[in-house]
Amino acid sequence: MMRPMKTLALAALLAGASDRASAQTEAKSSGASGSVYADVLYTSTGKTFENVLVTFQDGRITTITPGAKVDDQVPHGAALTAGMVDLSARVARSEASVEQTNEVEASLSVAGALDLFDPNWARLAATGVTTVLASPPDRNVVGGLSAILKTQGPTDIAERQLTGRSFLRGAMGDAPSSGNRPAWGAPNSIYNRRPTTRMGVEWEWRKAFIDAASAPDYPELEFPGADVFRAVLAGNVTLFVQAFTSIDIRTAVFLKEEMKREGFGDIQMWIDSGAEAWKDPQLLKRSNSGVVLPPFPADGYSGENSFMAWDVAKQMDELGIPFTLSAYGSFSLGSTLGDQAGRAMHGGLAFDKALAAVTLVPARVLGLEDRIGSVEVGKDADLVLWSGPPFELTSRVLAVWVSGTPVTQSSSATR
Amino acid sequence: MKLLSNQLPLTLAALAGSVTLAVTFAAPAVAQEKQAIKAGTIITMDGAPIQNGVILMDGTRVLAVGPADQIEIPWDAEVTDAPDMVAMPGFVEAHTNSGIDRANETLDVTPFFDVQDSINPVDFYFEDCLRFGITTINVQQGNNTVIAAMGAVVKPWGMTVDAQLVMPQSGVKMSVSPKAGKSAATQAATLRQAFADLRSHLEQLVEEKRQGNDRAHREALAQGRDYEGEDAKGRAMTGKGWIVEGMELVPRVEVDEKMAPLLKVVEGRLTVYMYCGAPAQVRTALDIAKENGFLENMILVLGSGCFKAADQIAAAKVPVILDENLVFVEVDPITEEETRTFEAQVFKDKGIPFALTSRDSGMESLWYQAAMAVGQGLSREDALAAVTTVPAKLMGLENRVGVIKPGADANIVLYNGDPLSVRSQVQHVFIDGQKVYDRSNDPRLKHLFEGQRPPGTAPAQDAGSNVESSDGTGDKKDKE
Repeated sequence: MMRPMKTLALAALLAGASDRASAQTEAKSSGASGSVYADVLYTSTGKTFENVLVTFQDGRITTITPGAKVDDQVPHGAALTAGMVDLSARVARSEASVEQTNEVEASLSVAGALDLFDPNWARLAATGVTTVLASPPDRNVVGGLSAILKTQGPTDIAERQLTGRSFLRGAMGDAPSSGNRPAWGAPNSIYNRRPTTRMGVEWEWRKAFIDAASAPDYPELEFPGADVFRAVLAGNVTLFVQAFTSIDIRTAVFLKEEMKREGFGDIQMWIDSGAEAWKDPQLLKRSNSGVVLPPFPADGYSGENSFMAWDVAKQMDELGIPFTLSAYGSFSLGSTLGDQAGRAMHGGLAFDKALAAVTLVPARVLGLEDRIGSVEVGKDADLVLWSGPPFELTSRVLAVWVSGTPVTQSSSATR
Repeated sequence: MKLLSNQLPLTLAALAGSVTLAVTFAAPAVAQEKQAIKAGTIITMDGAPIQNGVILMDGTRVLAVGPADQIEIPWDAEVTDAPDMVAMPGFVEAHTNSGIDRANETLDVTPFFDVQDSINPVDFYFEDCLRFGITTINVQQGNNTVIAAMGAVVKPWGMTVDAQLVMPQSGVKMSVSPKAGKSAATQAATLRQAFADLRSHLEQLVEEKRQGNDRAHREALAQGRDYEGEDAKGRAMTGKGWIVEGMELVPRVEVDEKMAPLLKVVEGRLTVYMYCGAPAQVRTALDIAKENGFLENMILVLGSGCFKAADQIAAAKVPVILDENLVFVEVDPITEEETRTFEAQVFKDKGIPFALTSRDSGMESLWYQAAMAVGQGLSREDALAAVTTVPAKLMGLENRVGVIKPGADANIVLYNGDPLSVRSQVQHVFIDGQKVYDRSNDPRLKHLFEGQRPPGTAPAQDAGSNVESSDGTGDKKDKE
């Protein structure tokens, strides 16, 4: 049985700030114009152009001219791609970016807790990442709503945020319970709390969903943020669940299936950091979930002692499971998002699939494929110029434009 | 643990059973086996790459390398035909603490130790070396030391340390950076004191000989030292720092065994791998080396940021081994602006020979570091040299490893593409002319690379996709 949902308040909460934001962004971005020339343009839509001149005006791509000739004034590189998108960028946030006194804090958005003055944004942008999904850290079970934003731009979050799909971010597994302990005698720490196990974490999730779904009939079950859970059940907000290990992915999928079985709603879900997605891919397949793969670990072991096979991206591709790659917002040499794409290729993923996994696929996940994720006329001028074949270790990022504005950071000189 | 399946089980069985048997049918068979590799491209590191080339090898060495039409393959040679592959000499790790059980000794001064006693031939590290194309490794003690053990150059193949050995006692490790619990000043003082102790010991030996005292002789006999070869005789001391007159009176075997390696250092006959963790310590390292005459047989093992002392290093003409952090990052505390320095380029520009080292034994080993260095602007030739010919020369093995040329050790790695591309993987490794690694027969790689599906979790057929790996060797189907 479906229950009536109170979505109006939520819609205001989710969309209010960002509608205003995009209007202002467009007003401010005028003047971000220029051009770039590359030996090869990989558009992310499957097309490749050679000796191509790309011009952009007011932050949008205006022309794409293959076979063009230009003078030395135009920035020139071996390859041009769309700006990359990281769905699990863990940048410019701290433990203070998440409410820790409540296990379930669905009503808060991380947008209010991000430090846009942090110089790491520029460092990240200089690696070629132009858009991120920023999420609250996992110090509680459900941290709150994620925020989509460009890596460069106004330092006012209302102006910087993009309007796309909404994501409720939380975690299964070890992270939300680690460090928690029962109080012996008098409580003496905020960590004297539950959950203290994976089971307790799952219970917090399920309780929140069932309470939210039942609250219209049983008002005493209402809690702050319950409307967000109802929006998740209605499919208006995507559930973004961190689950490294196959047992945690299973828990998330079973939770989704239980909600459907009970008639509460059909949840749209993406798994964050699904390092062990390869172990039981049918779980993801049957739940129509996609997975954000965490950074490739050198020794195979990713978070929470999960094992991440080097060919996991290739396996996801062959199974038809939507996936994106993430560098967790790293800008250090050898572990950038471009390097993660290179590692996926080392594991057997084809170049065009690797490119899609860091551009168009995440853009689609965000519901912003008409704005970002590929190089096409009319789209945002988020561009990355490479010194050689993209994602090869022997190549480096020469220049990056975010909404037509070049990234200026001394660090971009090296990588 | 179990080694790769093709690891000469016959030889081992024979060795375990009877030495005679091993000699009669295992060893000669290995030594005379002729091998030929036909490769699409051969990067020799000794001149331009050869297209459609042939490498001819006997049991241990390269006999010939050149274009296919110039080299006749003997009728009895076993041929590896790899027209789509790229052959390269195996990479050379200039300095590592991997492959030994614990990297550091608590005693300050131990040049009489030898890492051979610590190397674990079945360590996974050596497997990883094969997987990523490293065929020569200079194993040295860790950096947390004053004067450490003698190192050894080994290959990542063999069931015993002796089978792995390429060059024993390849140098002695020292550190000018403070060992835990020391200050930079006490570190330097301890280093200097070790050489002062050697000097007074030698002076005492000479003095005793002059007085007709045979204590040292009796002590050597009591300890069972052998009076053999050069060491049985006295020899005047040489050295560019200081010398003790009268050493011709003292048979070298009578020098205290705990100090004898340092005498070799002072005489310029043993390489010093001097760890220097910060640019401020470069000066101390060079001073101590000059005082004790080993400047010309010293190699600096540098920590991040030591490029700042590049001028001093260049003036002293000392080669360097760089650490795994290719780029040194400094953040201005006020503006938070970053300054990034690609260190290898600084050494290149100053004309200082430099070797690159691995970040880890897996993915981020030498191929990765060399590729990154190219990404940072180093030429391909220089980057490849920094992981092959340069470290080989530092070890004095430039005619044996890091190069494919007649007479060199037949350590050859075959890739399915450009060795520095993310799309390439090591396919075959030959060490001493024997094929010791075959990617299609590497059980642990299947775990690392493809994971191992637990029984019963194979992708269902309704997934409608082909999950067999493309080369047909993939182990994607579960083993129920």
